[in-house]
Amino acid sequence: MEKAFFEKNKNEDSQENPPGTLEIRHICKAFPNVQALNDVSLDIRPGEVLAFVGENGAGKSTLLKIINGDYQPDSGTMQIDRETLSFPNPLVAHKAGIRVIYQEPEIIPGVNVAENIWVGELPKTNGFIDRQNLNRTVTESLAEYGFDSVLPTHLMGDQLSAAQRQIVEIMRALKSGVRVLALDEPTSSLSDDEVDRLFTLVRKLRDGGMAIIYVSHRIAEILQLCDRVAVLRDGELIAIRPAKELTDHEIVHLMVGRELTEIYQRNPAGTNKEVLRIEHLNSKWHKDINFHINAGEVVGFAGLVGAGRSELAKVIFGDKRIDSGKIILEGKEISTTTPSKAIAQGIGFATEDRKREGLILIRSVLENASLVIVNQLTKLGFVNRTKEKEIASSFVRKLNVRTPSLEQEIGKLSGGNQQKVVLARWLAAKPKILILDEPTRGIDVGAKAEIYKLIDQLANEGLAIMFISSELPEIIGLSDRVYVMQNGHITGEIPGSELTEESILELAMADDLQGENESPNKTKMEEFSL
Amino acid sequence: MTTITESFTASNIKKKNIFTQFIDFLGSDNLSLLIALILLILLITVVSGWIGLEGGSKFFTWQNLLNSLAQAVVIVGLLAMGETIVALAGVMDISIGSIASCGSVVAASTLVGTGAVGSLSIFPQNNIFWAIVAGILAGMIGGLINGLIITKLHVNATVATLGTMAAFAGTAFLLAPNGKPIGVVTQPNFTWLAQGRLWKDAAVHTLNGSKWTGVPVLTVILLVVVIVMHILMRYTSFGRAVYAIGGNATAARLAGINVTTMKIRMFMISGGIAGLAGVLLASRTTSGNPINGQGLEMQAITAVYLGGTSTSGGKGTVFGTFLAVIIVGVLNNGMNLLGFNTFVQKVALGMLLVVAVAISQYRQLQSEKSHKRMEK
Repeated sequence: MEKAFFEKNKNEDSQENPPGTLEIRHICKAFPNVQALNDVSLDIRPGEVLAFVGENGAGKSTLLKIINGDYQPDSGTMQIDRETLSFPNPLVAHKAGIRVIYQEPEIIPGVNVAENIWVGELPKTNGFIDRQNLNRTVTESLAEYGFDSVLPTHLMGDQLSAAQRQIVEIMRALKSGVRVLALDEPTSSLSDDEVDRLFTLVRKLRDGGMAIIYVSHRIAEILQLCDRVAVLRDGELIAIRPAKELTDHEIVHLMVGRELTEIYQRNPAGTNKEVLRIEHLNSKWHKDINFHINAGEVVGFAGLVGAGRSELAKVIFGDKRIDSGKIILEGKEISTTTPSKAIAQGIGFATEDRKREGLILIRSVLENASLVIVNQLTKLGFVNRTKEKEIASSFVRKLNVRTPSLEQEIGKLSGGNQQKVVLARWLAAKPKILILDEPTRGIDVGAKAEIYKLIDQLANEGLAIMFISSELPEIIGLSDRVYVMQNGHITGEIPGSELTEESILELAMADDLQGENESPNKTKMEEFSL
Repeated sequence: MTTITESFTASNIKKKNIFTQFIDFLGSDNLSLLIALILLILLITVVSGWIGLEGGSKFFTWQNLLNSLAQAVVIVGLLAMGETIVALAGVMDISIGSIASCGSVVAASTLVGTGAVGSLSIFPQNNIFWAIVAGILAGMIGGLINGLIITKLHVNATVATLGTMAAFAGTAFLLAPNGKPIGVVTQPNFTWLAQGRLWKDAAVHTLNGSKWTGVPVLTVILLVVVIVMHILMRYTSFGRAVYAIGGNATAARLAGINVTTMKIRMFMISGGIAGLAGVLLASRTTSGNPINGQGLEMQAITAVYLGGTSTSGGKGTVFGTFLAVIIVGVLNNGMNLLGFNTFVQKVALGMLLVVAVAISQYRQLQSEKSHKRMEK
C-alpha cells in the first residue's frame, strides 16, 4: 500500500517539463557491496529549487557526482532538451552548464579572491595577468549578486571564512554560464546570518531561470527554501513532492521509513554527587569559568561557534594550557597537563572533529575501539588480545555498530558507525566524566537517535556527561541543565525546566555588542561574522 | 541492517582453512610481495638461461643463495627494520647510514682500544660482547639526538635527519684515529660475526652441484631481529602506539599516547639497530671504517616503502619490509649475475624507490576515496 502511495507521487510529478529541464532517467550505480542508486528518475527544472534529502548513504552524493561527471552511471540517461548528455569528467559537465558546489570548495590559499574566482582562465595581456581588468570584472559581478560588501576581492584564499569560500565557488560557477547549480550541504558551516545571504542568492538565481539542486540535512531550511523535495532512501527515489505539501515530520518519515517518535528520550535521574567542578578557570580562550556536573547528569554547553566550548573541553582534558583555576574531580583537585593524565584521572573526551582528532581512519575498528584501554590491557609490554577483542566486541554489540568485522578499516564505515566506535573507545575506559563535543555532527537521523538514547542510558547508569552541541533542539531535548557560553565566558545557567531556544540564544548573544572589544576571542568572532 | 549484523556474527564463527590462515599471518598486502619475489626469481632464471649465461644456473646454488643473498641483504635488512618503525609513525630517518658508520667505528675502537672512544676505556678491550654493546649504544645516542631535535625543536624529521646524516658522517671520521679505519683483522672472534657459519654439518642436499656450507651467523642475527621487531610491532602496546601515531598523531595524543616520548623511543630503536648494523659492517669489512655505512639508508628506505609501508605512516608490516629486503637483494644479485654494472644497478634501485612510493601513494588514494564514499 505504501508502494502505491509513492508510485502515485512519482506519477504526479511527470507533467510536461519546461525547456532546459535536466531529465534524469533510470540511473543505476553500484559500488562493491552496495547498490548506491537504483533506477532513479527525476526532472530538474529551471526556475526551481529542488531539494535532495535522505540519510547518509541514501545516494544523494552519488547522484550529485554522476550529475557532475565524477562518476559514470552503470545505466540510465541524462537529457536536456532531448539532447543526451554524458560526462566522462567534471570539466565536460561544467562546459554543459552543470555545476556542483561541494561542501568544502577547493580554494587556493595564497591567492586573492579575484584570482581564485578566475583561476584557470585569468585574463592576460602579453602573457601577463591583467589585474586591472580582472579586479574590475570580479568587483562588478560581485556587486551584481550583492556580495561586494561581504567578499573583498583582495582577501587571500586562506583568510576566507567558510561562507566566503562557498561564495567564491559559486562565483566561479556563475562566470562560466551555468544552467544547473547543485549545492551540497552548503550551510553546514555557516552562521545564521550567512545562511540568510546564501538563501537570498539562491532565490535570485532561481528567479533568473536557473535550475538549482539543494542537498541538506537541515529540514527546516529545505522547507524554507525549496520548491520541491526529492527523498532518497537506500539508493531509491522514495518520493518527489512540492515542499508546500510536506511537513518536517513527513520528510523525516519518508527519509528513514519509520516514525521517529520521541527522538529525545531523557529521563533525568541526576544525583547530588558532584563529579566535576571547575573554579575560576582562565586560559588563553577563557575568563573565569565556573561550573559543576553531577553524577548521572547530562549538562549541555550551548553557544555560538567560537564561544570557546571546544577549547574549554580541551583545557579540562589537558590538551590546551590552563593559566589558572581549579579542576576538581570528585572533591579532589587534579592537574591535567596532558591528555594521558586526564584519562588516568577518569576524564573521557570524544572530540568534535571525528576524522581529524578522533579516529585513526586507516586502522581497524578493534584498534580504534581499544586505543585508550590498550595500556590497561598490557602486561610486560604485551597486549592481551583475547581480552581486547572481548571488550571491543561487547561494546560494538552494545552500541549496535554496523561493521562486517572487528578487523574492518574504520574509514570504510559510515559516519554514524564511526562515531559509535569513538564512544565505545571512551566507554571502555570507564570514565567518571565523559565530554562529548558535537557527538552527532555529520551523522544521519537514525544514528543520531541511537546516540541520544545511549547518552540518556549512560547518564542513568551514573556517568556525568558534559554535552557540547550547536544544535539547539538536541541541547534542549537531552540536557538536564545548560550552561551558555559566549566569547570565552559562561553567560548563564539554565535549569532543564526553563530550556527554550529563546532562553539559550538570549544568553549566547547577550553582550555580543558591548563585550566585543575586550573579548579574548575577538579575532575569531570577526572571522565568523562575514 | 539485520544482514550486516548477522554477517558480523557469522564472520566470527567462520572456520579458517590453512590457506586463509597463511594469508592472515602474512597479511594480504604481503602476498603480492611474495608473488613479486617469485616472479622476479623466475625472470632472472629464465632471462639468464635465454642469453646463455652461466649465471642462470648459478642462481640456484647453495653458494649463491647463502653467500650473496642471505649475507648481502643482512645489513640493509637490519637498517630497514629500524626504519620500518619510524616510517610506520609517518616520519623518516635518513641518518641511519651515517649512524651505522659511527657504530662501526665505535665498535672497532672499543675492541682495539684506539681512537676517541677506545682510549676512554669505558668497556674492556678485546671483548666482542662489549664491542657490540658499544656500537649499539653509539647508535642509540645518535637516535636520541634525532628524537630530541625532532620533538623538542619541532624540526621536520626528514630535514632533521638530513642534518644529522651529514653530522654523524663527520662524527664517524672524528671518532676514528686521524680519520683512518681501525683494523680488526686480528680479532677472529669479532670477524666471526660476519664470516662465521652455523649448522655447517647439517645433512642438506647439494643444490645445482653446490654443497651446503651452513647458515651465515649474519643471517641468523637478521632473522632474530626480524622476529623481535615483528613481535614488538604486532603484540605490544608500543607497536600499537606507533601505528596510532602514524595513522593520526592528533587522535593518538588525544587518546592519551605520549607522542613525544614515543618518537624519541622510536628513533632510539632505529639508531640502535643502525649501530648494530655498523658493528656487523666492521666485522664484515674487518675494519671500523668511517665510510662503512655510507649510502645504505637509500636501500633500506627503498625496502621499507616497497614493503608496503604507507608514506604517511600507520600502515605496513615488519614482514612486508623483510620480503622487500629480499626482493632488493635478489634484484641486486640477479643484476650482478646477468652482468649489469653497478651504475645500472644504482639507476634501477633509484627507480625502484620511486615506483614503490608511487604504488604506496596509489593505494593511499584508493583508500581515501573509499573513505569519502562512505561519508554520504
